[in-house]
Amino acid sequence: MMDQLPKPPEALMRAIAQDLRPVKPSPRPLQLALRLVPLALVVSSVILLAIGPRHDSAILGPLLTWGASAVQFGLAIALIWIAAHEGTPAGRLPRPVVYSAAVAASLVVVLVTLLTFSTSPSAEPLLRVPSWINRDLRVSPWIMHGICGIGSTLAGGVLVLLFGWVFRNSLATRPTAVGALYGAGAGLAINAGWRIACPVSTPWHALGAHGAAIVATVMLGALIGRFLANCRLRIGAERS
Amino acid sequence: MSEGDEELRGLMVRYQGGSLETFQEMYGQLAPGVRRYLLHLAGGSEIADDLLQETFLQMHRSRAAYNPAYAVRPWVFGLARNVFLMNRRAARRWANIHESRKELPEFPVLPEAERLGSQEEIRRGIAHLPAEQAEALLLHHEWGFSFEEIAGMLGISAAAARARASRGMADLRSALSSLQRARA
Repeated sequence: MMDQLPKPPEALMRAIAQDLRPVKPSPRPLQLALRLVPLALVVSSVILLAIGPRHDSAILGPLLTWGASAVQFGLAIALIWIAAHEGTPAGRLPRPVVYSAAVAASLVVVLVTLLTFSTSPSAEPLLRVPSWINRDLRVSPWIMHGICGIGSTLAGGVLVLLFGWVFRNSLATRPTAVGALYGAGAGLAINAGWRIACPVSTPWHALGAHGAAIVATVMLGALIGRFLANCRLRIGAERS
Repeated sequence: MSEGDEELRGLMVRYQGGSLETFQEMYGQLAPGVRRYLLHLAGGSEIADDLLQETFLQMHRSRAAYNPAYAVRPWVFGLARNVFLMNRRAARRWANIHESRKELPEFPVLPEAERLGSQEEIRRGIAHLPAEQAEALLLHHEWGFSFEEIAGMLGISAAAARARASRGMADLRSALSSLQRARA
């Protein structure tokens, strides 16, 4: 039976024989997404552990403080799950599912921002830090924008790099889109933690600084996804 | 999952364990079908042979990415499609492949259409179908994938895969019937 089947070319066999170490099968998309939960939780909670929850959390109530962040975190995991599906050659999801998730994530961020602002329109940068810092932040509010924007971008960047490592073997048809999806997941997960710590509710700050950080992680994820795919193709071309 | 798929899944797991002989066996079973699929995608171009080797290289590099929960054939065909698309993007000369091809690819002839015309006419008919319809039609009728499997490979719903294949078949039938009427 084997004799009748086509045989691989010698060059291909040589390339295969060079590396035949046993590998562990990758988890299914849902398992992969769930495995990333602790990692995302730790990175997004760093800010909370550092400065604690916002001063007006009692006004917002547990639903708007923790519940809204839990929804954002859940959506972040859903985006990572979709990215894992898109990276599986035989497991892609219909495009409307992918687009709906991306739109839902954007809408949730805007809705939570508006709800938070309408419940507690806090514009005061009151942090649990030495009083002189709060004084300086009040005088120059742009510093607060910068801290939140750059800080959450850096935290999101760390998470995107970790996700990029997990997704390094992704076999996506659209690697840029997959990178953007896990970048969005990282950005949302970070925002879920930062919004509980950040005391400024104004839409200008929430969308301008925190929203821009999410956009930045989406772009970083897209770049990493494209870069990894290019590397994979180049290696394949060199070997053949 | 069919018996053949089960066998391939067992082979893939052994291959992940580091068996070179298993790779050869898998290549033997999968390469002819994957080559025909790549020929279809590449419009009959000789590059299909390069892409076939690239597909198996990528499969090897990413063998850890395979999860035994998936059937192997759709996974490898999906991978071949990715390799084709990535290469097409990398080399822009592939952009208008469907418009520029001169020779008709080695399209398989669908058993359902055999009585409607000669092999050459059927190939020509398939070549004139919209690319997405031709792909769904061949994946289902020639390579025997279910609509759920096609949906997973193409990133569409199973209903859309079914609609593309049946629209393609209807258009093919209609084109071949008109040809027959014209001949009569």
